[in-house]
Amino acid sequence: MLTGQAVARVHLLRAGNGSLAAVIARAEDRDTIVVAGAVREGPITIDRSLCLLGLPGAEIDGGGVGDVLVITAPDVTVQGFTFRGARFSNLYDNAAVKVNGSERPVIRANRFIGCFFAIYLSDVRGAVVEGNSVEGLPDEKDRMGNGIHLWKCGRATIRRNLVRDHRDGIYFEFVTDSRIEDNLTQGNVRYGLHFMFSHRDSYERNVFVDNGAGVAVMFSHHIGMRRNRFLHNRGGSAYGLLLKEINDGEITDNTFTDNTTGLMVDGCNRIKAEGNTFRTNGWALRLFANATACTFSGNSFQGNTFDVTTNGDLKLNTIEANYWDRHIGYDLDRDGHGDVPHRPVGFFALLVERVPYAIVFSRSLFVALLDRAERVLPSLSPADLKDDRPLMRPPHG
Amino acid sequence: MGKVLYYTLVDLARNRSVVAFTALILAVAEGLFLVEADPVKALLSLVQVMLALVPLVSLILTVVHTYDTHEFTQLLAVQPIGRRAILGGRIGAMALALLVALLFGLGLPLTVHAPGSTSMVLLVAVVLLAWVHAALGTLIALVHRDKARGVGVALVAWAGFVLLYDALLMALLFAFSDRPIEPLVLPIAALNPIDLARIAIMIRVDLAAMMGYSGAVYQQMLGSGPGTAVALGLMIAWIAWPTLMAFRVFRRKDL
Repeated sequence: MLTGQAVARVHLLRAGNGSLAAVIARAEDRDTIVVAGAVREGPITIDRSLCLLGLPGAEIDGGGVGDVLVITAPDVTVQGFTFRGARFSNLYDNAAVKVNGSERPVIRANRFIGCFFAIYLSDVRGAVVEGNSVEGLPDEKDRMGNGIHLWKCGRATIRRNLVRDHRDGIYFEFVTDSRIEDNLTQGNVRYGLHFMFSHRDSYERNVFVDNGAGVAVMFSHHIGMRRNRFLHNRGGSAYGLLLKEINDGEITDNTFTDNTTGLMVDGCNRIKAEGNTFRTNGWALRLFANATACTFSGNSFQGNTFDVTTNGDLKLNTIEANYWDRHIGYDLDRDGHGDVPHRPVGFFALLVERVPYAIVFSRSLFVALLDRAERVLPSLSPADLKDDRPLMRPPHG
Repeated sequence: MGKVLYYTLVDLARNRSVVAFTALILAVAEGLFLVEADPVKALLSLVQVMLALVPLVSLILTVVHTYDTHEFTQLLAVQPIGRRAILGGRIGAMALALLVALLFGLGLPLTVHAPGSTSMVLLVAVVLLAWVHAALGTLIALVHRDKARGVGVALVAWAGFVLLYDALLMALLFAFSDRPIEPLVLPIAALNPIDLARIAIMIRVDLAAMMGYSGAVYQQMLGSGPGTAVALGLMIAWIAWPTLMAFRVFRRKDL
């Protein structure tokens, strides 16, 4: 009976001194394997609950055969390695660390260099992925897979990772009740963060820079998005944040800077956007008329080429008490809100919607005059699209 | 020519119009930066104001100065000085005076409040615009003998550049909106010096929007090295042709 309660053992593997697969085969549940030096070994499967620790400089190179490390057991920890050599493929999603149908894996403080997929979790509950650095190949971005890929997972935590030069930085499909916090995704070909059919998730304090198309959240409900920064996502179809078919989302205290389109809202219901800052974007907010019951308040619009554009009426949505740097008004009762409504859709914005290359006239005096006239006597812009209580000062000072 | 230039400069300094111009520009720029807490917005407002104000003032200043110094010009013309030297000195003096006025009135606030490449482009564009309109103003004043008429023509020219041209172009854009005229819009707009200056600045401040579906083309055309060279070339052409015309008119003019 005592022997059944085996004390966890520690195995040390020095590179060149036997194979990792053999050490794993000898180990039992709750054992720890410490690896020193660079191991070059094809796909390795971890089928028992082990803790795999890399000493400084430890490396696992899959040699471009297929996956590098496949985890099928629960409670596995992988920490402190540099991974290379997950094979590029058009048929298989080969990953450096792949977890299949497992629970509570911890993937911490690893480095992934030029792996097709870096971290790939499928059918996993309670995963923790933190402090990893995932670096794709900047010159071969178009061939890369996703950096951190989750499929059909629950209660995952993705925290303090860096993902760059992959296809999607972080990809969620059918992932519920998970958190994405303090990550940085940069220079990915498609989306920095991509959500599909993933519900009750939240992402906070992440930074998304220079991704091909920004961040996309699609076909999901109850997503919380707080205090993220969306920077410099530029291009014809690039968005700081693209929301498509989202219900009951909450977008609070985010910053959108220098994006071609800051926030795009398409077919969303009951979205609440509060306290966000939109600075020097091309289009700060594109709100499609198929949105219903969305609320925008306490946001700040500064230095954008266009603050709001839409393709129809926005009767069912509320835009109230935001700060608009274009607002020209007064506040006689000194309650902090302007006494005349602000119409955020200018004549020029409507013109450019219809004739895109009219963008040449941006900031022309003639256009400024027409814009002013349209705001005083609206004839083209949707009648209901106005902020009745515009803030006189930006909410964040 | 050097002497004419020198005495014209002294005269310009003495009649205080250039000093007043400098003070006006300085007041507007400094005021915008002080009133507007957000430097981004202040710079954007400044672009709009400067692109309208500087051409207007340069035009009127040159036109009025040319008429007011008509007797001085007559006096010079009876001396053994070539007409080319007389006009060259006068135009050179005006260009120098405007340059100093703008460097001081606009350059100073820009370097203090918003140093950066956009400010540099704004300053260069505005100086070139001032020279374009000084050349145009000289030409207008030489062609029309009557002062009131000359000032009127100058005002109409200014309104044309700053408002009518855009209005017409936009009407054209709508009239032909179902035809593939987008490659023509930018070149036609760039034929107007004020539009050209505006686009050169806008390509920087509205860069994010310019990367959108239609703007990327413009960005490529004007943001590149050859694009900048073409823009500069157009500006120089706008300075050159009125100046050359002015020389031609002045050579044969019965003073």
